[in-house]
Amino acid sequence: MTTKSLKFPQAFPRPKSATGIWSWIGTVDHKRIGTMYGIVSFIWFLVGGLEALLMRAQLASAENDLIGPEAFNQLFTMHGTTMVFLVIMPLSAAFFNWLIPLQIGARDVAFPRLNALSFWIFLFGSILINFSWVTGDAPNGGWFGYAPNSGTTFNPGLGMTYWVVGLNVLGVASIAAGLNFIVTILNMRAPGMDMFKIPIFTWMTLITSVLIVLAMPVLAVAGIQLMTDRVYGTHFFNSLGGGDPVMWQHIFWLFGHPEVYILILPAMGIVSEVLPTFARKPLFGYPFVVFAGAVIAFMGWFVWSHHMFTVGLGPAANTAFSISTMLIAVPTGVKIFNWLGTLWGGNIRLNTPMLFSISFIAMFTIGGLSGVMHASPPTDAQQQDTYFIVAHFHYVLVGGALLGIFSGIYFWWPKFTGYFLNEKLGIANWALMMIGFNLQFAPMHWLGMDGMPRRIYTYAENMGWEGSNLAASIGGLILGIGILVFIFNVFYSKMNKVMAGDDPWDGRTLEWATSSPPPVHDFDVIPQVQYRDDFWFKKYPETISEYYHDDHDQAVPSGAQLDDEVEEALPVVSGGSDDHGHGAIHLPDMSYYPFILSVGIAILGAGFITNTYVVGAGVPFILWGLLGWSMEPVNDPE
Amino acid sequence: MTQAAATEHHEPVENTSTGLNSRKLMMWAFLGSDVMFFGAFIATYLVYRGKSLVGPYPSEILDIPLTSVSTFVLLMSSLAMVLGLHYVKEGQKNKGTIWILVVVVLGAIFMGFQFYEFREFAHEGLTPRTNIFGTTFFILTGIHGAHVTIGVAWMAFMAYGSHTGALRKDNALDLEIAGLYWHFVDIVWIVIFTVIYLISATDGPPPGVGPTILH
Amino acid sequence: MHRVSKLSFPLRPALFLLVPMAIALLAACTPENNQSTFGTAGPIAKDQADLFNFIFWIAAVVFILVEGAIIYISVRYRRRSDSDKLPHQTHGNDRLEITWTIIPVLILAVIAVPTLTGIWEQQNGVPDDQGEVLNVEAIGHQWWFEFRYPNHEVVTSNELHIPVNRPVAFKLESQDVIHSFWVPKIAGKVDMVPLNDNYMWMIGDEVGEYYGQCAEFCGIAHAHMRFRVIVHTEEDFQAWITGMHTAPDAPVAGSPEASGKNLFAANCSSCHSSDTTSPGSYAREVTSQQARWNGWISDIENSGIVSAPNLTNFGQHTTIGAGLKDLNQASLEQWITDPSSIKIGTRMQKHAAVYDTADGTAKLSPAEVSDIATYLLSLKPGSAPAGAVADAGGDVDGADVFAANCTSCHSTGDNTVVGPGLAGVGDRAGSRVDGMDATMYLKESLTDPGSYIVDGFPAVMPEMGHLGTESIEALVTYLKTLK
Repeated sequence: MTTKSLKFPQAFPRPKSATGIWSWIGTVDHKRIGTMYGIVSFIWFLVGGLEALLMRAQLASAENDLIGPEAFNQLFTMHGTTMVFLVIMPLSAAFFNWLIPLQIGARDVAFPRLNALSFWIFLFGSILINFSWVTGDAPNGGWFGYAPNSGTTFNPGLGMTYWVVGLNVLGVASIAAGLNFIVTILNMRAPGMDMFKIPIFTWMTLITSVLIVLAMPVLAVAGIQLMTDRVYGTHFFNSLGGGDPVMWQHIFWLFGHPEVYILILPAMGIVSEVLPTFARKPLFGYPFVVFAGAVIAFMGWFVWSHHMFTVGLGPAANTAFSISTMLIAVPTGVKIFNWLGTLWGGNIRLNTPMLFSISFIAMFTIGGLSGVMHASPPTDAQQQDTYFIVAHFHYVLVGGALLGIFSGIYFWWPKFTGYFLNEKLGIANWALMMIGFNLQFAPMHWLGMDGMPRRIYTYAENMGWEGSNLAASIGGLILGIGILVFIFNVFYSKMNKVMAGDDPWDGRTLEWATSSPPPVHDFDVIPQVQYRDDFWFKKYPETISEYYHDDHDQAVPSGAQLDDEVEEALPVVSGGSDDHGHGAIHLPDMSYYPFILSVGIAILGAGFITNTYVVGAGVPFILWGLLGWSMEPVNDPE
Repeated sequence: MTQAAATEHHEPVENTSTGLNSRKLMMWAFLGSDVMFFGAFIATYLVYRGKSLVGPYPSEILDIPLTSVSTFVLLMSSLAMVLGLHYVKEGQKNKGTIWILVVVVLGAIFMGFQFYEFREFAHEGLTPRTNIFGTTFFILTGIHGAHVTIGVAWMAFMAYGSHTGALRKDNALDLEIAGLYWHFVDIVWIVIFTVIYLISATDGPPPGVGPTILH
Repeated sequence: MHRVSKLSFPLRPALFLLVPMAIALLAACTPENNQSTFGTAGPIAKDQADLFNFIFWIAAVVFILVEGAIIYISVRYRRRSDSDKLPHQTHGNDRLEITWTIIPVLILAVIAVPTLTGIWEQQNGVPDDQGEVLNVEAIGHQWWFEFRYPNHEVVTSNELHIPVNRPVAFKLESQDVIHSFWVPKIAGKVDMVPLNDNYMWMIGDEVGEYYGQCAEFCGIAHAHMRFRVIVHTEEDFQAWITGMHTAPDAPVAGSPEASGKNLFAANCSSCHSSDTTSPGSYAREVTSQQARWNGWISDIENSGIVSAPNLTNFGQHTTIGAGLKDLNQASLEQWITDPSSIKIGTRMQKHAAVYDTADGTAKLSPAEVSDIATYLLSLKPGSAPAGAVADAGGDVDGADVFAANCTSCHSTGDNTVVGPGLAGVGDRAGSRVDGMDATMYLKESLTDPGSYIVDGFPAVMPEMGHLGTESIEALVTYLKTLK
């Protein structure tokens, strides 16, 4: 088809090289982007961990003067912000990137260049927020930036401006990635893979992406409002001008609670892949696990005010949000029971990924139970804003999300690289992390019940908090050593490679069907899917009837029939600019424009912090990126 | 979309799992996201209605007839959008180009109205810093204005494409997706017009406070 | 298929895990600790602790069942040999799913009942049957607490006195940022939110002194924003109220207290009131505190005035620095000399002119600091009957009045402190307003400072009417002599 199209003058030739720095800057390969997400967010993980250790050092003893209040406030603000927005979310994104196309039998995501754009914006946004350390003016208003303490009246420095602008930039990256994965999962599945045959991790990614797409705009609104308050003197949250500080809390937590599920659902997805693989059994109650995830995501929108039980919303509101919060424990419980059901009767291999996954269930259960305790406003009146809450959400986010992510790292490392992570070091890594984690956070429960408020940089000697705090600090150190063992493991395993082969764990899902590491085009032949856990049942066809025979809904593996229809009836159209057919191996070419566009957005953001002229400087980059992008064909003519 | 329906509309069937074009699907998902975005801003406006500590208050400054005209202009642009898409799909290049240009012009007129309104308000002493009404009014309508601006630029790009022949019958989907965005921005304006202009039109100073603008 | 190195069930790591858990359990909460939520001294805290215990034991059962199941399954179904035996590939069991959906619902319903009862009992105002209510307005400031007793016309700071076994109804307020009012042993917390007055109530049912602390992050000195609640017997409480209406005895001339009083008047009194004992003084203090806030907020960078704790009968206090240190001569001297050596970030050190030095310590000699401390510690209810107006008897020297009340904002030279320098005010005063001579203008400016603000200065000057007619007239006479 020869058709006329618009041409944009190219400043650089289109990138072609497969190696070197430019091959990374121009890449649109979901695996490379996933790797970059992983590396960058792991570096931020070390930064955030260091921030935590500094705080633990300060709190190790009473009336310690190692770190003053100003630095301490900056540390806990940046620790929270870093771990939520720069570590767990992008680490999950690293898994989305690597795995979703592989799990659904696709050659890339739906919009490869948009995918690259997400990563670059994330990178620049994360640097922007952390650049505040360099200027010595790091954010100091807490990671949920309560107004009016985050406004210029009480917080005149640039710190919170960095914070709010950085979050807005990161929000753009998250929304773009969320849209991409929604479309990818809905539209790019291998022939025959209907929605109830996609792997559970893919399901959780879809649900997470929907949450991201709907929740991040709410954060963007809060962010824009606080930013205009700070930069242009509007009154959204300025109590002196009539703005209501409680409004900030409503908007922030309306985003913030779905955010909690954005953080935990991917880890739940990872665990739901690891447990069946090493129990050598399918996931127990697949539709129920999916449904529970969807219910959690839905109900997550109706519980935000449980962060505000002490704000004075009145008994009626507290009653309503208390009940909705308790109810959300039900689908969470359903997931835990289904994981136990998966293990029950299995042939369980207790290796590193499995230990991390089982520990996830154990630790997440603790976090869930303490969550029920402060779902009750009368008990929350004592627990709110104390170390009990700190303990609770670290059990959910470290004991939950982070253990899940580590499980995923050990599980899929052979697929990412072709070789194993060392098992003995892995066990040591797991043991140290578990000991350190529990020693650090279990005593915080007692500290909270003993009346220690969070976010205090020091405490008096006569409060009885020293023992638990010291234990927590030692625990933090052990946890840190566990992370160092992991880093050592990465390098050790790279130097002493134990090759894994394509399917080292006797896997169940499609990513194990291709080589390790996968070729650039993922699959030589796009798989035809008939079953849930299609790869497994093709390896062990004798087990198909065991899985399908006693459930009529599942009894019709209609895949084969559908395949024919798909192949015969649907003509291949190369319509959309980023579309690529499932049939021929036809990958999108590399592109610089995502990088250029993200540079523009970063400059724009920096402009809101510094001055308006810099905003103007960002615009040409954005126009260059957008116009170049929109006129660049997915593939240059050969 | 079933195959039959697809054929009826002379649209190519997409080779995707859902049969929907990926970019179109993404635009719908994005609009869902944007609903939350505007929803939170509009909710803020509603919560803060009548909370201004000082004037000018809405009843003193809103010009309903003027904004009704600009609202009408924006609604008409949606009509032009429909016609433009129709002719591009029919392959009638010139008619398509003209109607897309009409969208651009009407969008620009709407922006002109908004610019005029902002200037008038500032002239009468209402800026984003004046009071809560100013803060919520300017940021909400300003964010909408930014959406319109992006839409106008996009449509201008489309008109240029249609003129040069880069936008044709076979890739009319590009225009359809831009149209989805344009219609959405229109619908949001109807909500904003209702919430800010119609509902708040009579919001005056609190009891005991005299007029703050003396004409 | 590749096989990873064979592993027995990692019991040893599991042990490593259990040991710290056990240690942590042993270190479990001590009800005696100052802010323990378990050692309760009031029915609300007790209800909250009881509800916690109720949920805790249910959670403990669930915990043991789930964690037990994890360990049991992991041990029982672990791979015992190298066998790659395939377990039954079951897809699930609908009946089980329904069961483990319903059971949590039932458990949560059981938890919900006392939860809802608790919410409505604790958050819906003081029930009628609890006896005579004491009303208190608690105001969070960066970074200290102000307590006002509107029915008793008493105002104090950082140490809340309440009678035992009587309900106390709080109106919680804040002007700056969000704080949270929390006395763990008596009641759970409620936030103090600007523009959103909150209400809570509590009963202390044991006489004693209890610790409280701000629980919502509120800025640089959040860790140091603490307070005490002193639960008295009814008689002691009434005695305290009476004491708060009784002015201290005037210091003997020439004593350190007398010197301290003058120094306090010159350096501290524009922010710290210390004479809220007489009738009408309560209303005045409420107005002054608002004026100090208005002054600070209208020009934060340059303000020399901030909202500050009321120091009436301060000698009765047991702590300083919002409950940070025991109150005694040494700690008070340290506090006055360099507040940040006790509490970093105080507004006092940042804004008060007396701390306008290179290292931020007070522009006072050690002897002067000692005198101020001695004076403050001597502020205890005196021998005069409660409610008497402490009026300075005999001749009043306008210069003294000026030194005591005006110098923290006005110099007698040309330089601006907060308000304008007053050199030549005697010449200017007569020509400021048509039809007003110097005496009238000055008097009006003192009693109603808002009337004639000099251009370019904030409207922050407090009304001086409380000084009494005699002092005002002496002051006017003195001011007219300033050339």
